[in-house]
Amino acid sequence: METNQNTEVLCLEGLKKSFGDLLVLDNIDLRVTKGETIVILGASGSGKSTMLRCVNFMEVPSGGRIILHGEQVGKENQNGSRTYDEKSLSDLRSRVGMVFQHFNLFPHMTVKQNVMEGPRTVLKCDQAECERRAKLYLDKVGLGWKADAWPSELSGGQQQRVAIARALAMEPDIMLFDEATSALDPELVGEVLETMKQLAEEGMTMLIVTHELGFAYTVADRVLFLSKGKILEQGAPEAVLINPKEEATKNFLRGHGSFRLPEPNLD
Amino acid sequence: MGYEWDFSVVFGNFDLLLLGLVNTLKVTGLALFFGIPLGLVLALMRLYGNKALRWPAGFIIEFLRSTPPIAQLFWFFFALPILLGVEIDPFSASVLTFSLQSSAFFAEVFRGGIQSIDNGQWEAAKAIGMTRNATLQRIILPQAVKRMIPAFLERAIELMKTTTLVSTISYSDLLYQANTIAQSSYRTLEVYTTAAAMYFVVILACSLLVGRLEHRLGRSGEITRG
Repeated sequence: METNQNTEVLCLEGLKKSFGDLLVLDNIDLRVTKGETIVILGASGSGKSTMLRCVNFMEVPSGGRIILHGEQVGKENQNGSRTYDEKSLSDLRSRVGMVFQHFNLFPHMTVKQNVMEGPRTVLKCDQAECERRAKLYLDKVGLGWKADAWPSELSGGQQQRVAIARALAMEPDIMLFDEATSALDPELVGEVLETMKQLAEEGMTMLIVTHELGFAYTVADRVLFLSKGKILEQGAPEAVLINPKEEATKNFLRGHGSFRLPEPNLD
Repeated sequence: MGYEWDFSVVFGNFDLLLLGLVNTLKVTGLALFFGIPLGLVLALMRLYGNKALRWPAGFIIEFLRSTPPIAQLFWFFFALPILLGVEIDPFSASVLTFSLQSSAFFAEVFRGGIQSIDNGQWEAAKAIGMTRNATLQRIILPQAVKRMIPAFLERAIELMKTTTLVSTISYSDLLYQANTIAQSSYRTLEVYTTAAAMYFVVILACSLLVGRLEHRLGRSGEITRG
């Protein structure tokens, strides 16, 4: 298959990860093109979070290659294994944004300081540039007016949006969302998904692990279904979510559809 | 009870008691000054060092915590000079002993404080590309130190009380001065009561001050601004 190097942001080749004897990721191949929004689905323990965490080396892969913008991460040793020094990993992570389930804002810093921390400490931007980015990205997530608040003063949804702004302030090539709405009260999920949808529309490249099937159906360009550490099925949302081929995918979707609400009357 | 209180000997020698208090504060202050940074270093060695750093740090901490302070003091005052071939004065021996001794306790306070910070904070900092050192400095320690304040205070008070041991090697701290005055005047009750009251006032004042600081930090939700 011919891929255009210019538009390929991320490439995973034969990615493997095991914890002790437990093989969690088994030969994952994935090519992500610029502007693509990929939603990763799978039952608990299928390896979807681990896959995401390998992309920015929160977990160091046990094997395979990770290529970001044509550059392979780490240095190759003589025996073919790879070593990853702190400098090159820090550099990689500054180009890959990640949003966690539990927001993890820095509680001793204001909202604005949270967003400025990466540009200042990692990218060594000057004060004016840090301020510019903080304003730009807080406005983007609709929280410019909370710049001077403390994280503890915000709702969960607002905290998660600040976490998104904090990741965006690094102006990354790709954004990873690891169950970004799973810790939120149901009424706060919408605002975070809305922010993510807006990013997708603006052309941000995104890998999203989520349980929000409606979101996956509406926003994703491609849906992956992971099972036992392998990509079992992938394709357009209609293909995977409406006409799944694999039995495991069908089971997963059955589980999600057990209790369905008829269209509520919201007038 | 027919005891007749007479504080004249205390008033007459109050300058000596004050000098003793100043000396107590000097030893305590210097022990804190050296002990806290040294404690941080030991804690970091124990937490993040390789084996060559982790084990010695662990050994030093456990050794200092598991030997009586008075034995340490005697060792530095009486034994170390034999090894070095130079005389060590009581003041230096005291500062040396209590700096090291308190560093072991502060190391454990630092370790507990650092470990109490949620792993998510490390991950979030890592995810934006921060190095381990930067994360420690800017994210973990500022939060940890705030949580450590009560334990710090408790250790500092404990330290000040333990420094009374220096009177055994003739360093003129508050207790030593009180001993001297009591023995020459036979006004034991008045002198020791006054000395105890002086310790009490200083330690209580410190507690109140730190309590206030803690309250203020708790209210603002921050300890350092970037």
